[in-house]
Amino acid sequence: MARDIALVTGASSGIGEALARRLARDGLDLGLVARRAERLEALASELRAGNGVQVDVLPADLTRSGAVAELVEELARRSLDVDWLVNNAGFGTVGPFHTMPVERELEEIALNVEALVELTGRLVLPMVRRHRGVVMNVASVGAYLPSPNMATYAATKAFVLSFTEAIAVELQDSGVSVLCVCPGVTRTEFQERAHIDTGYVPAFIQQTADEVADEAVRSVGRGPVVVNGVLNRISLGALKFLPHVLTTRIAGGIVRPQEP
Amino acid sequence: MAQSVVVVTGASSGIGAALARRLARDRHDVVLTARRIDRLEQLARELAAAHGIQATAIPSDLARPDGPATLVSELDRRGLEVDWLVNNAGFATAGRFDRLPIDRELEEIRLNVKAPVDLTGRLLPGMVARRRGVVMNVASVAGFGPMPYTATYAATKAFLLSFSEALAVELSGTGVRVVCVCPGFTRTEFQEKAKIAASVMPSFTWMSAEQVADQAVRAAGHSGVLVNGTMNSLTTVFMRLAPRGLVARVAAAAMRGRV
Repeated sequence: MARDIALVTGASSGIGEALARRLARDGLDLGLVARRAERLEALASELRAGNGVQVDVLPADLTRSGAVAELVEELARRSLDVDWLVNNAGFGTVGPFHTMPVERELEEIALNVEALVELTGRLVLPMVRRHRGVVMNVASVGAYLPSPNMATYAATKAFVLSFTEAIAVELQDSGVSVLCVCPGVTRTEFQERAHIDTGYVPAFIQQTADEVADEAVRSVGRGPVVVNGVLNRISLGALKFLPHVLTTRIAGGIVRPQEP
Repeated sequence: MAQSVVVVTGASSGIGAALARRLARDRHDVVLTARRIDRLEQLARELAAAHGIQATAIPSDLARPDGPATLVSELDRRGLEVDWLVNNAGFATAGRFDRLPIDRELEEIRLNVKAPVDLTGRLLPGMVARRRGVVMNVASVAGFGPMPYTATYAATKAFLLSFSEALAVELSGTGVRVVCVCPGFTRTEFQEKAKIAASVMPSFTWMSAEQVADQAVRAAGHSGVLVNGTMNSLTTVFMRLAPRGLVARVAAAAMRGRV
């Protein structure tokens, strides 16, 4: 018989790892997806031992075309039904767009946008048939603000926000809950790997990955979008009433490449 | 010496063809690209004859992963230097997302999002080095908010809008301008192919492709976002200021039963 799991992409670190821990604590069996198999294995052992849940490790490079279809086949082969789909995998590139290697920008779109849409497309139909399920897409506050020096990243997140809000309405009577999670500055490896200097963002605005994950899971079923953190909600609410040209310049001041 | 040209993608019909005509009238040499070579060649001949400019038709399938790179190599091979890049090619799918074939949704993302990013990434460094050029991205009013029953399309346009706005700021002072054009309902083949019933909106809100193209070219003197037409401008103000959940519901009510 098939077993229900929560499938978490980008589960090897940061918000993805925190979401996996949070869902394991709730007693959900998990499928962990990321490129780094050994990190997933370590996390899986810990979650099995700590929470008594079953955890499947599913290493995959979702930037590769064809990877999503293979992952879905592997789920079928293992008789796993995806009850929660957590599209968290993503990365950001930082710097003026015209100086960036275009291949990397396209990979960013492949992961942040294409893989998310493809996984949703391939896994939501069985959820609709069963009249239950959760689709959680992790975007960013950058979805609301065009971000100079992070133009592609913010645009991928604007895509995710618009897409998720739209399908949330389409699926409102289907039994499937759809949620878009928009974290602000979060203390994870993400900033480090994107080489963003966030030291000047006051510590009380920054959240931990655990705080983001907890707020995200508690927000399922309570509306299509959660912006993490009261301060981020207030800032976005206020910025909405400023001209976009100005807010874009403000965002350009926030996203600073790290000094070498 | 290299010849400076305007490259228009999706130039075989609709707003793309109208933009090509409008730019040819301004005496720009134009490169027309799209999949349908016979229509491109016919338009190229017409524009060359009418305006005494050089018009070149280069077929390309920009939804293919190597489509943009192939087009750029072809431009290089012919010694053409791109002064204006008009990213206009795009299509829409309509219907409930879970019932749409996923391959077509992914093709839509490749054409509407990846192709403009790819072409811009390959052509922008040259423009910045020459300290002049225009990148014109054709988005849509749909880029301003979620649109149930055309979820992927609206999201691709939200991408283009955000990307263009950020790029415009990054490039201020470089001599390169970035213009994001956001048409509303326009009388073209586009709606027909997307199977969106034209009756959704009252006829006075509709514009012709020629009006859209004319406004777009006149707006290209400065970087920024152009929303075509007064009704569309008011609509986008509502979309930005109203709660997004309300925007999605209004959009859903307008689309439901018409796709």
